[in-house]
Amino acid sequence: MRRKALLVATLMLAGLIASAPAALAQTDCTKVVPPSPWGPNDQTGATNRVTPAVTKAAAAEIKDGKVVVMSYPLTDGIPLFGTRFSKTILTATTLAPGGALGENQLTYMEDTWLSQSHVGTHLDGMGHIGRKDCYFNQIAMGKFITQNNMTKLGLEHLKSFATRGVIVDMVKVYQAAGKFKTNAACKKPCIEKGTVITKADIEAGLKMYNVTLREGDILIVHTGWGNLFEQYPAQNAVYNSGEPGIGKEAAAWLVSQKIVAVGSDTWGVEVIPGEDPKEAFIVHNILLTDAGIHIIENVRTDLMAAEADQTKRATFFFSMTVPKAVGLTGNFVAIEGIR
Amino acid sequence: MGSALRPPAPRRGRRRFFLWISPGWGLLLLLLAGASALVAQERRYTIAFANLTEEPGVTLEGTGFTGREVRESFALAARRHPIDLVFYDNQRDPKKALANVEEAIGRKVHLYIQYCDDPVTNARVGERLRAAKIGVLAINTPVPDAPLYTLDNRAAGRIAGEALSEYGVKNWRSAPTIGVVLGNMASRDHRVSERVQGATEGLKRHLPALKISTLDTQGNAAQVATLVGKLLASHPATKVLIAAMDDASALAAKSALDSAGRLHDGAIVGQGVDRSVHGGINDRKEIDPANRGSIVLGSVAFYLDRYGYDVLPIAMRMLRGEAVAPRTVTAHRLITAANVFIEYPPYDMN
Repeated sequence: MRRKALLVATLMLAGLIASAPAALAQTDCTKVVPPSPWGPNDQTGATNRVTPAVTKAAAAEIKDGKVVVMSYPLTDGIPLFGTRFSKTILTATTLAPGGALGENQLTYMEDTWLSQSHVGTHLDGMGHIGRKDCYFNQIAMGKFITQNNMTKLGLEHLKSFATRGVIVDMVKVYQAAGKFKTNAACKKPCIEKGTVITKADIEAGLKMYNVTLREGDILIVHTGWGNLFEQYPAQNAVYNSGEPGIGKEAAAWLVSQKIVAVGSDTWGVEVIPGEDPKEAFIVHNILLTDAGIHIIENVRTDLMAAEADQTKRATFFFSMTVPKAVGLTGNFVAIEGIR
Repeated sequence: MGSALRPPAPRRGRRRFFLWISPGWGLLLLLLAGASALVAQERRYTIAFANLTEEPGVTLEGTGFTGREVRESFALAARRHPIDLVFYDNQRDPKKALANVEEAIGRKVHLYIQYCDDPVTNARVGERLRAAKIGVLAINTPVPDAPLYTLDNRAAGRIAGEALSEYGVKNWRSAPTIGVVLGNMASRDHRVSERVQGATEGLKRHLPALKISTLDTQGNAAQVATLVGKLLASHPATKVLIAAMDDASALAAKSALDSAGRLHDGAIVGQGVDRSVHGGINDRKEIDPANRGSIVLGSVAFYLDRYGYDVLPIAMRMLRGEAVAPRTVTAHRLITAANVFIEYPPYDMN
């Protein structure tokens, strides 16, 4: 009897050992995602390119100190992607009669902010988009996630975004090329959703203001689609239904230009519907997963586009601070372009 | 350098000849390079697409897809090609179809894609285009001597039937089981009968002795509740494998089983995979990764919303003078909760 029990136990143990590799099976990320050019331990990505020299050179863009707002208000009613939400609760108890503190009658207020991080004008971090369980720099994220956050690739690893911004005005490019198609819901000129912005389009936008990209730049693409965001909540459904944006070829070219980030006045920066109906947000994979280049969504671009048009200068100092939010995949940001 | 390694100097006459001919060759090479650069800039083509009908609410091919979805797929797919599309609506009207082709001939389009279900009209359209030396590509109903892109209704039906019979064998081996083919049997469209034939073949694939009932909705999905309800009442304690000929009937069949308290007795496969059964990541439609336990096992994809992606590459091959198969069929496949987001990645997550 004891021998039989021992045999059963041995067989069960053998079964467990045999099934363990299957249970722990992970993707071999070296076959799915390229390595980071900044080494096997890199969790930073493209902000490695923002060196003191890059920031110093960008500072030369500040000529008259004019600050241009490049983010949208974060408030109820703005278009949110999917089931995302952002809600604030005000704590104002000391304003109640008798609630003030001390002889100086101090009162205070605070907010509770219940929000998902990818709302409003926001930055996609390295941990936002992967291929299977593989993320930037071949990191198999299955091993580095907890119930609350990531233990690798969080925003705390990012360096500065104090660099040169370059805006390309796709509305003007498309108008000049005679291929401009708008959406009836836009109150200002906007490029229709589904329009693939190509490498040639971006080059034309750069040429329009006689500028070339250099390593460490942040490219901002003005499509006019953001006008639908500005009309919140009236056009939220139209805004979210698709967008003009960069295609795969343009994304690959931007990777070769060694930029830090691409932003646009759309909710996803890339063209939606995508070029291949069987691919999901492939430009996110090309930029973030494979190249560590950030994506900045819902950027307010119209003011800077107008500024560039007026002054015939497309460059500015890109001022954006990203909280050192440990283990987060992204966060809302405020951006100012300084001229 | 030793003289033995030096190439012999050209004679005086040859030197003069080279002096004269070199600039000439250089100019020629430059011209050739310019010409090849022009060739490298791919030529743009104008392609006409004459749709079956774009009447709002009218669905095509016994599925839930509309003509608008077909047209939009062409517009999206054209982004990949050097193509300018001209859209026509045949309105299921022979006169309109012939007027469209005359208009396209006047425009000197490079290729005409004809989607019309009237063979007689298609023959006349083919003649006119042949006379105008414009290539033609047909969708679903042949144009004589033209390549055809078409659904394979029998294959689609078979995929559904096989999935159901496999499910029956796997889950209900010892239980009494019947098969049901449900849909608009009265449709004059021969395609539904092909679909029924395929479904019947598929249902018998793993259950050769399966008794199959046919329930005719006569195109009215509201009839499904009554038809399925009666069938369930007359077959208590019996499992039911339902091959629905369209997605609306599949959803209605599920409701009927639910109303009868017999959800656990049914398995259903639809046809089409239109937006009524799948959607965005938060839509929670019937075929959804979060709904893996549904008795709607899946639906067979007809991809009318991707026709442009399938048809325009064939059109491009024709325009480039490459060989094209006389008949290309839709690659139907079963879409389930397990693969719906791979096959149809959501992007419109409103």
